[in-house]
Amino acid sequence: MDGLYAVWITSGGSVNVFISGGCKNGKSYFAQSLAKWQAAENRPLYYIATMHPVDGEDQARILRHREERQGWGFSTIEKSTEIGRMEADFTGSFLLDSVTALLSNEMFRRDGTIDHEAHRRIAEELTQLAQQSNRMVFVSDYIYSDAERYDELTELYRKGLAWIDRTLARVCDVVIEVAFGRIQIIKGPANFMESMDIQEIQSMYGR
Amino acid sequence: MHLIFGGAYQGKLDYAKARYGYTDQEVYDCALGKVVVRAQECDIAAANGIDFSKKVIDHLEEFVLACVRSGREAKELLAKDSEMWKDSVLICTDISSGIVPCDAEMRAWREMTGRTLMYLGTEACEVTRVFCGIPQQIK
Repeated sequence: MDGLYAVWITSGGSVNVFISGGCKNGKSYFAQSLAKWQAAENRPLYYIATMHPVDGEDQARILRHREERQGWGFSTIEKSTEIGRMEADFTGSFLLDSVTALLSNEMFRRDGTIDHEAHRRIAEELTQLAQQSNRMVFVSDYIYSDAERYDELTELYRKGLAWIDRTLARVCDVVIEVAFGRIQIIKGPANFMESMDIQEIQSMYGR
Repeated sequence: MHLIFGGAYQGKLDYAKARYGYTDQEVYDCALGKVVVRAQECDIAAANGIDFSKKVIDHLEEFVLACVRSGREAKELLAKDSEMWKDSVLICTDISSGIVPCDAEMRAWREMTGRTLMYLGTEACEVTRVFCGIPQQIK
């Protein structure tokens, strides 16, 4: 542990990372490891929780995620809307999980109306956060390869999320696709992973 | 032929236009609803299908769906017309990774699109996948 901690201190990263991929394939866990790595030199480590719980199922999911993060040292910031107004110490390392939830919170308002500009606003706000901190890890969901005819509203949502994803992929230094646990660097230095020993970090926090 | 694929809204057409400097005038969009695949006709052009005079053929998956609905195999029709698209840019949405659809026609569409992409991938001199606006060279 001491040896590894020394590695974090000397080589902890300072990059903005965008991660996408299918559901339940290890994205969040990998993202946590990345954010942890970026919090070297005793920087604050933040988890931006975006889910707005609407029922018991959501509550249970949030509880499970909290348990999974136990021991990692994350401070949780609850921010399900107006992400641009988030207050934190911007010298820290941030993990935002997920862009997907953020868009549905802002697009499908609680009063039943639809905000057609939500995707543009969120893309701008997240770009600003990335520029402010330089240690942001964004997690999104790749929901674009279904063989299905969706209703107009669902298509608007997919299109909006793709807008944010493409913006973040342009803004971030590193873009990663997680596919069934396989981590692929789509953008960024090919040796990006070499400077951090992701497996060692992960093995320390269970799994 | 250059094959470009990727999920919906990922920037496939934007990439093709930027890469080759094409405008919308040089794009044929199969999603416009003009593709009619007849059950009996032998080739696509004769069946009032894709306009292969355009440099870019977009939303090829819509042509595949028309084939499914007419009981034809898309890659066989394309193979018959291969002379017409050998220098084209073909763009197709990857619809292979979602939930298996409940609807039988959607399932057939998903599978025929997969077969079509495998055929076109073999024929192409270049294959590019676009992920969140970023092109990846596959072949």
